[in-house]
Amino acid sequence: MLNLLATVVSRPSGAIGLTLTLAHVFMALLAPLIAPFDPTMQNADTILLAPSAEHWMGTDTLGRDIFSRVLHGGRLAIAVTFAAAVVATTWGSFAGIFFGTVGGRIDEFSMRIVDAFLSMPWLLFLLLIISIGGAGPATIIPTLGFFYGVAVLRVIRGAAMQVAARDFVTAAKARGEKLWPILSREMFPNLSDIILVEGAMRWSWMLLAFSSLSFLGFGATPPTPDWGLMVAQERGLLATAPWAVFWPCLALSSLIIGINLLADAIGKALGLDRASAMAV
Amino acid sequence: MKKSLLLSAAIALASTAASAETLRIPHELGYGGSESLDPISPQRFYEAIQNMYSRLVRQGDDGRPSPDLALSWDATPDAKEWTFKLRPGVTFHNGNAFTAQDVAFSLMRTQSETIDSPTKGVMEIIDRVEVVDDMTAKVVLKQTHADFPLLVMDYRIKMLDAETCGNDLDALCESGVGTGPYKLVELDALGTTTLERFDGYYGGTPGVQNMELIAIADQNARVAALQAGQVDFIYALSAEQVPLFANNPNFTVQSVPTGRWVGMVMNTTIAPFDDARVRKAIRMSADRDALGKLVYGQGGFITTCDHPVWSGDQYRADLNCDRDIEGAKALLAEAGYADGLTVELFVSDISEGAVKMAEVLQNQAKDAGITIELVQAPADGYWGDVWMKEAFFATGWSQRPADQILNEAYRSTAAWNETAWNSADFDAGLDAARGELDFDKRKALYGELQKELWENGGSFIPVHLNTVRAFSSKLSGIEPVEDFSIRYENVTKAGNEG
Repeated sequence: MLNLLATVVSRPSGAIGLTLTLAHVFMALLAPLIAPFDPTMQNADTILLAPSAEHWMGTDTLGRDIFSRVLHGGRLAIAVTFAAAVVATTWGSFAGIFFGTVGGRIDEFSMRIVDAFLSMPWLLFLLLIISIGGAGPATIIPTLGFFYGVAVLRVIRGAAMQVAARDFVTAAKARGEKLWPILSREMFPNLSDIILVEGAMRWSWMLLAFSSLSFLGFGATPPTPDWGLMVAQERGLLATAPWAVFWPCLALSSLIIGINLLADAIGKALGLDRASAMAV
Repeated sequence: MKKSLLLSAAIALASTAASAETLRIPHELGYGGSESLDPISPQRFYEAIQNMYSRLVRQGDDGRPSPDLALSWDATPDAKEWTFKLRPGVTFHNGNAFTAQDVAFSLMRTQSETIDSPTKGVMEIIDRVEVVDDMTAKVVLKQTHADFPLLVMDYRIKMLDAETCGNDLDALCESGVGTGPYKLVELDALGTTTLERFDGYYGGTPGVQNMELIAIADQNARVAALQAGQVDFIYALSAEQVPLFANNPNFTVQSVPTGRWVGMVMNTTIAPFDDARVRKAIRMSADRDALGKLVYGQGGFITTCDHPVWSGDQYRADLNCDRDIEGAKALLAEAGYADGLTVELFVSDISEGAVKMAEVLQNQAKDAGITIELVQAPADGYWGDVWMKEAFFATGWSQRPADQILNEAYRSTAAWNETAWNSADFDAGLDAARGELDFDKRKALYGELQKELWENGGSFIPVHLNTVRAFSSKLSGIEPVEDFSIRYENVTKAGNEG
């Protein structure tokens, strides 16, 4: 693991990605301790102040300190999407390895269902499910986890088919090994690299999806500081108070770029070619 | 080559002139495409009916009744019979003459049980309408009403052509045939509805050749459309949107004190809001001045104590509603919520500042132990899907005279009784106020009703707003008056010759 980390940080993109990701995670964890103001504190005397020594990133339309809100703004998004990424990666990987290993009609039939899901406009389905089930993490985590797990399944299944054709899997089958030992001992260890990279990638995409949901009013709800919600609420101010929109945008995009760079560097350190590994 | 250049130039000039004569106004698609051209329909298409139909009486510059299709009116000493003398020579868009028969038809249909118009509760005071002659209509009331012309000044009490509507008092009439300055070309509520100048308009030639009413549900999108020159006029600007246009010579900004409000509604029949102590505790937890400054900016509002009668109205009551957190906590404890109360509030970007107001109320109510969880709903379709369907929700009303708003929103039988306020004493008070011929006594009676709303009502109305509108500097003729009083027929657009 340490060797992997050393290889990752030896590349500039890996070092930048790791730094950005860790910085955001630590900011989210420590936000209550380091934020200079209560992120929900409204003040009629400080409405839309430009960045200054007191308010580093300025204030919003309700006089709240944007720096404090940006620090807190990633907490919900990171927590919810990380949990959803674990769900998506877990079930998507398991199903992908299973179908890639067993092949045959079960695999063919299942892939047509997967094709159907992949052809759906996900965001609309997300909105539909969330509008029925409510906008809380209890709905969003399994919903994101399911839809993004479909894509994970497709990628891992493709990789699993290549592994399943290799000699050591054929030998295991010849030895009379049952399916579960083959999946857990032969397949999974040889696919864990791809699963790790795939999970990281899906996490970054989920962050964007969650922020989109917040922007549309289906993710975080006021007064929760959340980057997507902050952009939605202040988007009319681009011309007059751009700082109210710029900082949450910067925070969101820097985290997504960071995770992408990190995933890319991990993939390269593990000898994976993401361009060919990513089927979708 | 020279000929084709001349032809191109002529075509370009012609298209420029045509474009300049089209006034483009956005509408908020509040009924999700179900907008109706019947002015008394619950889904009335406000921007269209405002220009296609006329009223008997309209607001003057001072807000009081002034002639429109009725040139004059007088009442018997007991104010139970009102006679309206009509404007002669007026025709509908289809060429039919406007007569007292149309007045009788248009007023009596407001009482239809089938149509169930939001105007029904207010207009039920009419017993019958007698056609004295073609140009004279006598309205006989069930009870005295000293200010009856204020009721027919309502923006929905338009005069329809009885013949076109088949003289059917119980059917919606969506023909669009009125006597207004613009007539219907094409209805497309989800897209662009087109009107064109009615050359036979009794008030003179309308200012532009065409009007386009363009569906844009989102307020930020409407602002962007004005900036991009896709529309000519927008209303209900928020405080932070004003700087986008304020110092730009291409736009004009008007800020007008009005009785317009955005507020929150508690349904008085659904728990926990069926307990008056809970309702008052929520209202008492608000710091109205701070709320107004946060949401509408300094000078953009006048505080009010949950009574809908605005400060410019002759019947406005002066009440005190200072924030009282301890009082709110005590009321909650009495109501059985000593450990705090959690409620859901449905909001949407329906009117200027609605979501922000909910956020500020949420923050202020916290101090009294009230947790308000905001649920954001889409703006398009809000009025059909959320408003008056949830227990606690956002609302927005334009300015109305005291008698009208008190009857329209709080009489137990009113269709838009959004708080489900059901008080026989209040209804009796409304009747008593209408029947009182002495102004001071009438004012005192209206004052008592407003005080009752502050004490026990289900409305949270923290402020009355300045209505702020922005429009292209190419437009002229838009007077700084409240929204219902804008005379679109007087609006001209630079480049047109009308």
